[in-house]
Amino acid sequence: MSRYLVLDKVTKIYDSNNEKVHSLIDISLEVEPNEFLCVIGPSGCGKTTLLRLIAGLDTPTTGKIMLDGMNIDGPSPERGMVFQEFSLFPWRNVLKNVEFGLEILGFENKREIAEHYLSLVGLNKVKNKYPYELSGGMKQRVAIARSIATNPSILLMDEPFGSLDAQTRNIIQDELLKIWEIEKKTVIFVTHSVDEALYLADRIIIMSRSPGRIIEEIKVDVKRPRERTDPTIVKERYRILKLLGVEIKKIANV
Amino acid sequence: MMGKMRKKWVWLIPLIIAIILWEVIAIIINDPSLLPRFSMVIISFYELAIKGYLHPDISMSLYHFGIGLLAAFCVGVPLGILMGWFKKIFILLDPVVELIRPIPPLAWIPLIIAWIGLTHHAAGFIIFIGALFPIMISTYTGIKDTPKVLIDTGKVLGCTTDLKMIRYIALPYSLPSIATGTKMGMGVGWMCVVAAEMFGVSESGLGYRLFSEFYQWNQLDYVIAYMLLIGIIALILDRLFRYFVEDKLFKWKKGIVK
Repeated sequence: MSRYLVLDKVTKIYDSNNEKVHSLIDISLEVEPNEFLCVIGPSGCGKTTLLRLIAGLDTPTTGKIMLDGMNIDGPSPERGMVFQEFSLFPWRNVLKNVEFGLEILGFENKREIAEHYLSLVGLNKVKNKYPYELSGGMKQRVAIARSIATNPSILLMDEPFGSLDAQTRNIIQDELLKIWEIEKKTVIFVTHSVDEALYLADRIIIMSRSPGRIIEEIKVDVKRPRERTDPTIVKERYRILKLLGVEIKKIANV
Repeated sequence: MMGKMRKKWVWLIPLIIAIILWEVIAIIINDPSLLPRFSMVIISFYELAIKGYLHPDISMSLYHFGIGLLAAFCVGVPLGILMGWFKKIFILLDPVVELIRPIPPLAWIPLIIAWIGLTHHAAGFIIFIGALFPIMISTYTGIKDTPKVLIDTGKVLGCTTDLKMIRYIALPYSLPSIATGTKMGMGVGWMCVVAAEMFGVSESGLGYRLFSEFYQWNQLDYVIAYMLLIGIIALILDRLFRYFVEDKLFKWKKGIVK
């Protein structure tokens, strides 16, 4: 089901007040089917831009993004996305939110499918509630259910747990891993948190300060379920924090 | 229990004070051609009801109001959607809208008579002009303010055309705003009823009666009775709209507004 994603020398330049702003420079990356990839880097380094390019919400200035050898042009339900901000449709209840993509694509059994994914994130009991009645963690669980309901091969996640408290965050990370193992999807997960990346990822991409380049790639060879205090994780954590520290110092010196 | 009752009826106090003041001042002035007493207005109102004025006048005015409001809704909502969603259409239409908007509905009367004569539709047109802009501008604002993240979410979930994005995202998001605009449009439109009927498109109607008969007869008590009636009908329309439309649309907004 999952597919092979390739980014070939992708550069993104924005026009802002007639000034060219380089957001991403020369990003080349291959993501294997079913891989869990985390992207980490200083604020404003273009992590979100990277996800938006893969989602097809933006187009690269130069370079190519290909899925199984086919160029990506425009958004598609085969690449689901969970946003950092709460993105549920406030006028639809939980069930109707999860049904959204299925409804657009004309699925006949949208209710069944939606209920299946809602129970996967443990929220079947609140299916008739409206988004304003949910906690932050529940909102993001619904958003995850909604993004996988149309069965995308790639799931793009833009700091989805950034605004959640630490405890909720730990729980929802485990749930995400469980879903990832059941549903067999490629996940590209952007985060600020080194701990989160080390807990979740098969591989971590570390990006430089803006304009974003890939400065390091780390394979996390630790069996799941992982201990957050595993010696390998602690060692890698130290290394990543040092790398990021150098980048953040560069920002401060500019 | 007592406290709750008190809170529920507290709005009556300023009303009663105003009525008492009115009555007392009218007694002191003692000139019904300047200010008829409240009690006299009530009696006049009763007289008018018995004479059978109220029913045809209210129906006629609601008819004119209905024509104008329906037209304003059917023109204002689509135009507002187009202006809110397509920047190019906004750039093209905005100057025209801002030029026409400040012209008072009253100023249109000569032109309307020349165009469509003394018909019910002429009255409806005046009300249409009054109701159009609040509806159109609220629709436009609602569509334009649709959060980007909701539009992006829609795109990722398969809304590939403008039509789908409007239908599934921007329009449902804007419904409360459209409802508010419609309510404002109803308010302005109803205010135009007197003006719309005063140039004689019909032989009945609240505005026609007030201006072309009661005023000409120097019956100030009748005039005030009809003024109050116009106010009361507006209040009822507003409450009905709030109960049947707004409360239902605003249900999901609770978390955002209050």
